[in-house]
Amino acid sequence: MTNPPGAAMDIGEFRSSLDVWLEDNRSALAPAYEGGGTLDQQMAQLAKVRRLTYEAGWMRRGWPERVGGLGGTTLMRAYLGEALTARDLIEPGFYSMTEVLAPTMIDYAPPELAAAMVPELLRGEETWCQGFSEPGTGSNLASLSCRAVRSDEGWRVTGQKVWTSLAQYAQRCVLLTRTGTPESAHKGITALFVDMDSPGITVRPIDTMHGPAEFSEVFFDQVHVPLDRTLGQPGAGWAVAMDLLPYERSTSLWHRAAFLHRRLQEVLDVAPAEALDPAVLGEVTQVLYAFRARSRATQHRMAAGEHLGPETSVDKVLLATSEQAVFDLVAEALAPEVTVGDDPASEQWRTQYLYSRAASIYGGSAEIQRNIIARRLLDLGADR
Amino acid sequence: MEADLFDQFVRGLRHATEHHTGEALDASLEELGWRVAMAHDPRVAVSTLFELQGRANATSSALGQVVAHALGLGDEPETVVLSPIGQWYPPGALDGLHLGVDGLATRPARSGDTALVVASTSESDVAVTVATSSLRLRQVVGVDPGLGLVQVTGLGLDTTGQSEGVTVDWAAAVALGRLALAHELVGTSRTMLELARQHALDRIQFGRPIASFQAVRHRLAETLVGIEMAEAALEAAWLDRSTDTAAMAKAVAGRAARTTARHCQQVLAGIGFTAEHPLHRFVRRTLVLDGMFGTAASITRAQGAAMIDSRALPPLLPL
Repeated sequence: MTNPPGAAMDIGEFRSSLDVWLEDNRSALAPAYEGGGTLDQQMAQLAKVRRLTYEAGWMRRGWPERVGGLGGTTLMRAYLGEALTARDLIEPGFYSMTEVLAPTMIDYAPPELAAAMVPELLRGEETWCQGFSEPGTGSNLASLSCRAVRSDEGWRVTGQKVWTSLAQYAQRCVLLTRTGTPESAHKGITALFVDMDSPGITVRPIDTMHGPAEFSEVFFDQVHVPLDRTLGQPGAGWAVAMDLLPYERSTSLWHRAAFLHRRLQEVLDVAPAEALDPAVLGEVTQVLYAFRARSRATQHRMAAGEHLGPETSVDKVLLATSEQAVFDLVAEALAPEVTVGDDPASEQWRTQYLYSRAASIYGGSAEIQRNIIARRLLDLGADR
Repeated sequence: MEADLFDQFVRGLRHATEHHTGEALDASLEELGWRVAMAHDPRVAVSTLFELQGRANATSSALGQVVAHALGLGDEPETVVLSPIGQWYPPGALDGLHLGVDGLATRPARSGDTALVVASTSESDVAVTVATSSLRLRQVVGVDPGLGLVQVTGLGLDTTGQSEGVTVDWAAAVALGRLALAHELVGTSRTMLELARQHALDRIQFGRPIASFQAVRHRLAETLVGIEMAEAALEAAWLDRSTDTAAMAKAVAGRAARTTARHCQQVLAGIGFTAEHPLHRFVRRTLVLDGMFGTAASITRAQGAAMIDSRALPPLLPL
């Protein structure tokens, strides 16, 4: 790194010096596998890239100094993920979980806990997961029932989470629990930071349609969580969740746009001309371009310190639309690869096509996003 | 533009577009110094006026002036001939000294006027000025009589004695014209959405406002997503100023406006099908604006075909 730690760096300077560094360290950063790799391989690759970029200082840019960062504009975080994704060095979905979990810790954890933990996440020492969804709680997050009860020494958690990404790899979990009455809805939720090696936690990976078992069911049986692991105030977990969700629709989506752009260029590189419909290719390109333009504006608003709110639901709808449009085109243009190919490249196209079906489901379904847009952006009043 | 000046400029344009249309709006724009503003800050002048013009369903000859400005011929406020509907090639073709013209103008020509025609030759595109009296002019009624377009044609016009044509960048003129049209489509869409939104809140069926039904809410949400998408594409196009991104912004805005027209017409249902409700004027405007300098569908197909040839996506706007 040319700049000493702590020195200010603008985004243009960051971009050009990072690009040089990535080129110089190309072989050290490259994955040791062909195609998409197994989940274990992807996680090892992610940890390696995190460690190398942290040691060189890149990963610390755009994060506050009190959690081991070097300060500066959050645009640097957006660009780092974009640059790593564009070079196919990381799986963007896994990489970007940091963009959701670290800000939550910074905003809501006791300062000494955030200072101790966030660097572990950034430098690839640890993986964290996010325990929100439950078997009976999908779109209606306020109905969650995983229970935390106060005991003399802290909390006792009992219940179940599902669709918890990377839980089998995670050392920690940002967990939403019910601490009020079952009827308390969003008023009776508390967020906790839980060690995943605590006695009483069982993780069971879920076999998925697209292949990698990246989601899990997580069972909690009388799990002890110390009181100083409470994020925000007891009973104020809904605010933690609501502040976290717009982060899911900011930097992470910028990284995802870089992934979609790379894959669209790659399908354009290899597809036979007669398999490409100009009208479809033109529209997919425009949709992706507009999604990226929207997300770019969101990155700049975030960097300017603006509060991100319901308007990020538009970004999420555009991501789902773009991702499904890109991979619908892939399924058409690379039909033999997606349907009957068994080489690593074909498997990767297929896995990603299948995963794209979830883009309108995860992180707030397309319907929930439209409900938010109708209620909060169009001010259409209550829906019943 | 400074903040105070900008606010004043926007207020002036809003008042002008809400109260005047056609030649009266042209006169207001001259008074407000809109053309001068375009020379200083094309983005502010073009985006502000055309969005407001779209919102108010007003018309002016500003699009011709945008094209003239992009050609570097902005000081001559004359009739500017645009491509025919659905096309973006130059409206003129010059074969030796003979000029053929097939295009549209945004205002009726007055006697003694001249018309600026960009014509393709075997080497380049050149701007030629001809007397409007030598052209055939037809006041267009069409689907949107309120727009006041004029069809301009001419065959085998003798350009002897005309000043020699200047070579111009027609693609740049199309690009800036497309940005203006895209803003006008966004403004048109925003009004349609507002009309439908208000109706959904006011109209009671089954004992409750139809805005409470998810089928209606999702249509309107989808509409807003499309409009925001067009705004985002426009912002990117102004930042990178390439012809590719201007084309994308126009296509995204045209598609969004057609989607908006469909959803809003459905939500407004019976009342939106009457001539006394304003919706139909915006639906009509959408069709014509989408057609000018290429429909969303034709631009998109052409872009796709070019990408299949080059095997390259348009360059990305950096963060």
